Amino acid sequence: MKKKLSLSLIVVFALALLWVGVSAEQGVIAIKAGKILTITSGIIEDGIILIEKGKIIEVGKELPIPPQAIIIDASEYTVMPGMIEAHTTIGLRERFEPPSADETTDPCTPQLKVIDALNPFSRDIKEVVFGGITTALITPGRLNVIGGQPAVVKLTGTTISQMVLLEPAGVKISLGEGPKQAYGAKRKLPSTRMGSAYLVRKSLTDADYYLNQWKEYEKKKASDKEAKKPKLDLKLEPLAKLLEGKLTAFIECYRTDDIMTALRIIDEFKLKAVLVGCADGHKVADEIARRKIPVIISPMGVGPRRIETKDITIRNAGLLSQAGVKVVIHSDASLGVGAIRELPLAAAFAVKGGMDREEALKAITIHAAEILGVADRIGSIEKGKDADLVILSGDPFHYLTRVEQVFINGEIVFEKKEQN
Amino acid sequence: MFQRSVVIAAILIMLSGLFIFPTAGEEKVIAIRAGKVHTVTGGIVEDGIILIKEGKFLAVGKGIDIPEGATVIDVPQGVVIPGLIDTHSHLGLGPSGGITEDNEMTSPATPGLRIIDSLHPRGLMPHQDSYLDAISEGVTTVIARPGSGNVIGGLSALIKLSGETVDEMVLRFPQDMKMAMGARGGLPGYPATRMGTAWTVRKAMNEAQEYADQWEEYRKEKEKNKDANPPKVDLDKEALLKVMKGELPVHIHCSPTVDILTALRLGEEFHFKKLSLGHATGAYKVADELAKQGVAVAVGPQMMVFDEEREELVNLADFLLRAGVKVSIITDADVVQQEFLRYQAAIAIKYGMDPEEALKAITIYPAQFVGAADRLGSIEEGKDADLVIFDGDPFDTMTQVLKVFINGKLVYEKKDES
Repeated sequence: MKKKLSLSLIVVFALALLWVGVSAEQGVIAIKAGKILTITSGIIEDGIILIEKGKIIEVGKELPIPPQAIIIDASEYTVMPGMIEAHTTIGLRERFEPPSADETTDPCTPQLKVIDALNPFSRDIKEVVFGGITTALITPGRLNVIGGQPAVVKLTGTTISQMVLLEPAGVKISLGEGPKQAYGAKRKLPSTRMGSAYLVRKSLTDADYYLNQWKEYEKKKASDKEAKKPKLDLKLEPLAKLLEGKLTAFIECYRTDDIMTALRIIDEFKLKAVLVGCADGHKVADEIARRKIPVIISPMGVGPRRIETKDITIRNAGLLSQAGVKVVIHSDASLGVGAIRELPLAAAFAVKGGMDREEALKAITIHAAEILGVADRIGSIEKGKDADLVILSGDPFHYLTRVEQVFINGEIVFEKKEQN
Repeated sequence: MFQRSVVIAAILIMLSGLFIFPTAGEEKVIAIRAGKVHTVTGGIVEDGIILIKEGKFLAVGKGIDIPEGATVIDVPQGVVIPGLIDTHSHLGLGPSGGITEDNEMTSPATPGLRIIDSLHPRGLMPHQDSYLDAISEGVTTVIARPGSGNVIGGLSALIKLSGETVDEMVLRFPQDMKMAMGARGGLPGYPATRMGTAWTVRKAMNEAQEYADQWEEYRKEKEKNKDANPPKVDLDKEALLKVMKGELPVHIHCSPTVDILTALRLGEEFHFKKLSLGHATGAYKVADELAKQGVAVAVGPQMMVFDEEREELVNLADFLLRAGVKVSIITDADVVQQEFLRYQAAIAIKYGMDPEEALKAITIYPAQFVGAADRLGSIEEGKDADLVIFDGDPFDTMTQVLKVFINGKLVYEKKDES
């Protein structure tokens, strides 16, 4: 039965490709789905999704299908929005080359842009798409106190401009063991936690001064055409945008002391921020919830445990979520169970640890889109959003569920091949 | 003062032991009644009964008579499988990449090192309870190995995850010699290239041969001259001699196909007995050769390999098994934490591996791999009573472990929450 179905799918796709080839971008694609997890407006049984020019143009039950539409029969399957990996360094690391996610020649490098290191042809990126992940926040690593500017990218395309959804997507900040280890070994500031916090504070204070110089210049310019323009400082520009609330600070921190330092800095400089890592988050859940700061966490320590993640628990996601924190789930390792490709497994672990199922599903779709600032484009199956879709053989959290097809911008980027 | 109180406490404990177990003679039979028993080697028994006596399985089957006076454990919804086995672990040796006890990186060849001298029976910071965590997810036996920092890392041990001291835990030592292929890129005192790595092995093996020859000469000499001077005992060479004589298996860490081929070549050159490979992500390209040579592969922590030519994922464990290669699934703990072993197998199943084969790849296949299938790997009369009771499908993420037994003793029990 299933085989027959996928065979007919293949035929339909072959026709689809032919058809698209003939009539360029004009075609409408209609996906007949057994179940649509819209995420933002519930589950639609036996629904239809209409796609045109890379966008979802309609979603619902018993929709009229345009006569010339290409029909994809997924009536035995479940369709969900493309999943979002909210914090990763994939594409920055080439095999047989030292990693390039951390510019460890200077602990503060807000001027750096990950898009200048991102390789669209990275095989890690391709592999991740196979798992139904269609968008990622690519970010600098955790060794620099201020690592640089992350970018939200679609995981398809041959150039950065084809991939980018939002750039810069924020500023990456890191507290705790990472910078300490990287610079302490060189006997350079920061070799302590207070050293790291000082550097963040100093950089933001400098940025505040810089911002004021520009504001004053703008004021003076109105009356004095000869007013001297301040020098453009590429290091302080992104930090000034942080202070203005135009960019988000992604602050990596694991232990309660680091989380509290992050919250102190957020309060002091009134930052729009997201906490990343947050292994001990559940211990200070109320502090995080009170400030309405979202978190990006991995529900369990799959990979090697570090000193600062030694107390990690599967219950973290559930406890944070129940305390009212917006929780986004990502994968924190790269191999086996922890592979980024297996993001739904990470979310399933969160459910096992007590997180509500619906919340866990949101944690890898719409909530991720919201905290990355791209919810107008992705994260749910809604009219007007990008047609980033995953067709699954069943419940996204069940280990036997396979990814059948993946669409990014209305185009098929992955299709399951028949078994061997 | 402190010491004295410890001694007194110890005496008291010993005395109390005498009172608590006055008739230490015959142990009671434990009977487990479970909804489903995966014996692994003898099929699935629905509503099965398992009898355990003196740490061993006494019987397993349907409708078996439960001896009078037996301790009965009833788990009508329970699913029972043998204790899980991981053939490639660094459990209890500190975090990989952190302060680690498994890589003595002061010289590239350290065959004389014994992993049991580094093992902590509970686990080290930052994962002090790593053994308990592993048991709580059903892992009962592992091969603890030296890391892959060195070309010749040292001697591995087969251990059960219960016991107060390392010596209590050891099932077999030495289990095998650990080696590692691959380039090491310019670490002082270390080979920089793959050729340098192979040379390190070759050189060590040749030196061990010279050493053996010296001893042989000495023995001959001694027949003629009673006062002949014996050569100096060299612990490193003694260990390699065992490899050379075929007394000790060899396990080689390798990743791309180029390293696998070098491992095979070295194996052939020095007649490695029971050669096995760890990780071996490129193994699918030479699967037939591995099958032909009977070389087993420990698959993991990477379960799926991206084939760049075909742009698809290869399910490594499944692929190798189909090609006739002996396979066990591993975590490489704590690259992936030890307790996630069953999920490593679940990933292989997700991408098409037969669930029964996946179960074998973490039970009976590793038992065969380690040469202990007479004691481990299945629920069979006479084998060690190592078993796990789940509340459902052992591969399902949501499934919980209810109880774990090692050598017939309850070593983990799920606490009731709420």
